[in-house]
Amino acid sequence: MNTENPWLLVARREVMTKLTDKAFLVGTAITLVLITGFIGWQVVSENDTETYEVVATADALDAATLLEERTADVDESVRVEVQQVATEAEGEAALRSGDADLLIRPTDDGWLLIGDEGVPGDVERAAATVLRDAVLAANAEDAGTTLGELQAGSEVSTDLLQGDAERQGFAQAMGVALAFLFYFAALGFGYTLAGSITEEKSSRVVEIITTKIPVRQLLIGKIAGNTLLAIAQTALLVTVGLIGISFTDYGGFLPALSGGLGWFVAFFVVGFCFLACWWAVAGALASRAEDLQTTATPLSFLMMGVFFGAFLFEGTALTVASYVPPFSCVLMPMRLLQGDAAWWEPVIAIAILAAAMAATVVFAERLYRRALLQTQGRVSLKQAWTAAD
Amino acid sequence: MIQVRGLTRRFGDTTVVDDVSFEVPPGQLTGFVGGNGAGKTTTMRMVMGLLGLHGGEVLWDDRPITDADRRRFGYMPEERGLYPKQKVLDQLVYLGELGGLAAGDARRTAQRALERFGLADRAGDRVEKLSLGNQQRVQIIAALLGEPQALVLDEPFSGLDPSAVDSMVDLLREETARGVPVLFSSHQLDLVEQLCDRLVVLRAGRVVAQGTVEELRSRGPARLRLVVDRDAGWVRDVRGLHVVDVDGPVAVVELAERPSPAADHADVRRALLTEGLARGEVVELAEVRTPLAEIYREVTA
Repeated sequence: MNTENPWLLVARREVMTKLTDKAFLVGTAITLVLITGFIGWQVVSENDTETYEVVATADALDAATLLEERTADVDESVRVEVQQVATEAEGEAALRSGDADLLIRPTDDGWLLIGDEGVPGDVERAAATVLRDAVLAANAEDAGTTLGELQAGSEVSTDLLQGDAERQGFAQAMGVALAFLFYFAALGFGYTLAGSITEEKSSRVVEIITTKIPVRQLLIGKIAGNTLLAIAQTALLVTVGLIGISFTDYGGFLPALSGGLGWFVAFFVVGFCFLACWWAVAGALASRAEDLQTTATPLSFLMMGVFFGAFLFEGTALTVASYVPPFSCVLMPMRLLQGDAAWWEPVIAIAILAAAMAATVVFAERLYRRALLQTQGRVSLKQAWTAAD
Repeated sequence: MIQVRGLTRRFGDTTVVDDVSFEVPPGQLTGFVGGNGAGKTTTMRMVMGLLGLHGGEVLWDDRPITDADRRRFGYMPEERGLYPKQKVLDQLVYLGELGGLAAGDARRTAQRALERFGLADRAGDRVEKLSLGNQQRVQIIAALLGEPQALVLDEPFSGLDPSAVDSMVDLLREETARGVPVLFSSHQLDLVEQLCDRLVVLRAGRVVAQGTVEELRSRGPARLRLVVDRDAGWVRDVRGLHVVDVDGPVAVVELAERPSPAADHADVRRALLTEGLARGEVVELAEVRTPLAEIYREVTA
């Protein structure tokens, strides 16, 4: 392995350097904690039910009992428990002391809910629906009809030609989350890669290395090592995220999205290699760490463009951009997740991306090789391209 | 043996290395001297294949050098090339492996070398924590890993304290004793003079002198110092020499260009002695060894 594939040695060093870097490990751990925390909060708040203590005097007891029985049917996160009080003054005292949340009392044209400092919106809406339906039903009976008959023909419901709204919204959110992960990985590992190349250049260790192995092997090794790290880290985050999501109500949507997720992986790998070549060039154009900010700026903007493209592109622009590297890395898998791309579309897009990557490797190797030994300040792309070997 | 023939390199319109030819014979220390910008580093980088050649060739054992040959060369770049944040031993093992050593061999060799340089207890430290002198020791260890078949060292002595210079000298002597050709650049002429078997002097991209130190000395006119017991002004009348300086009883004279290296100046010496003895006592008549610095100044002037 030593003499045949020295890039493996380079890749191994890249990986080991990162895996022994405390900042990287801590950063990954914090991200994991944030993801689990966010999903955990989702799970908890989904199953979370709020119980309200409602006090009522004898003349409001029927209405209060109705609330206790039926509120959960209207809003499953709201529960009502009723407590009878002798007088309204006693009820108000209970509100002030915090022993009860609400007091219900009849008015001339309906019911009044009294809170101490406020009446929470969810219980107000649920109570209004329960009481209105009950009163309507009673009124209907008095008029010799039923609630069903009165409401006949008034129902407004929604339907979608493609999937249902919740699923669509989930796919959208998932797409944005994956776009963010790609942005996060490509920017983070891109900077790591560029920085390590600048470090080799500024410390001149690159001169020693390139007398021992060909420049191409060094470039391939660095790209391979960082791509592997980026994929491993993203896979870890995505796996934890997916396991978390499977515990939520959204878990049921996952099997239908697995195709889109698979394509995301494919686009991620090819797209990351494509961008890594350019990060390598950005690193080689800088002679010191301070120069890197400047030489990497165009790439940082491009990465932001890819990320914001995930929100901003619509309609035809979205369709077109989903074929253009590097936008295709994010936009095509997003369209697939939302189910508005035919099966052949990602095939073509990834072929274009792979072709762009192959061309980039050739360009980048030339730029990288020629910029690598120019250690006087920043090197322009043109200088690097036209420099003699 | 490394042979450099007609090496030429341009940067833009300026020719930085112009038709440079020299040899680095096996088992010899060849010193590469010249002022700043004379083209030493560029030449060494071309020898190591880091820069393309615009003319000429580099030969190893009488055939064009290959990357595989260079892989077994030890090279030390001008500015210190090591990863600042990596641990010393890990780094040496990595460089050894890139040079084709098996991981275990690289580790053993590196550990032995660290012990020898008194750095065994620093093996687990990051390079940036070491003093500059110690970083340079690590650097030379990196260049020597795996018994290289040739050494190309750019300014290996710069920044070393005298004791470190001594151990570096010992080390290079060991390498030449193995029969390895060593090329190193330096601007410390006194060091080069006491150390080198051969010298290559570069000026503005051209070789202006090369050979053994003795050969370089004999290039210029020989000088004699005469001390008599009274005024030595009479030497101006002796034929076949040029008076450099007369200060009372002490005279320094330069012998006219020799017709051939074989012909010595026995007649002129005899004339000086005879004349001196005829006028009194001759206290001293000796050849003056021109310091390398002066030769250097002459050839690079």
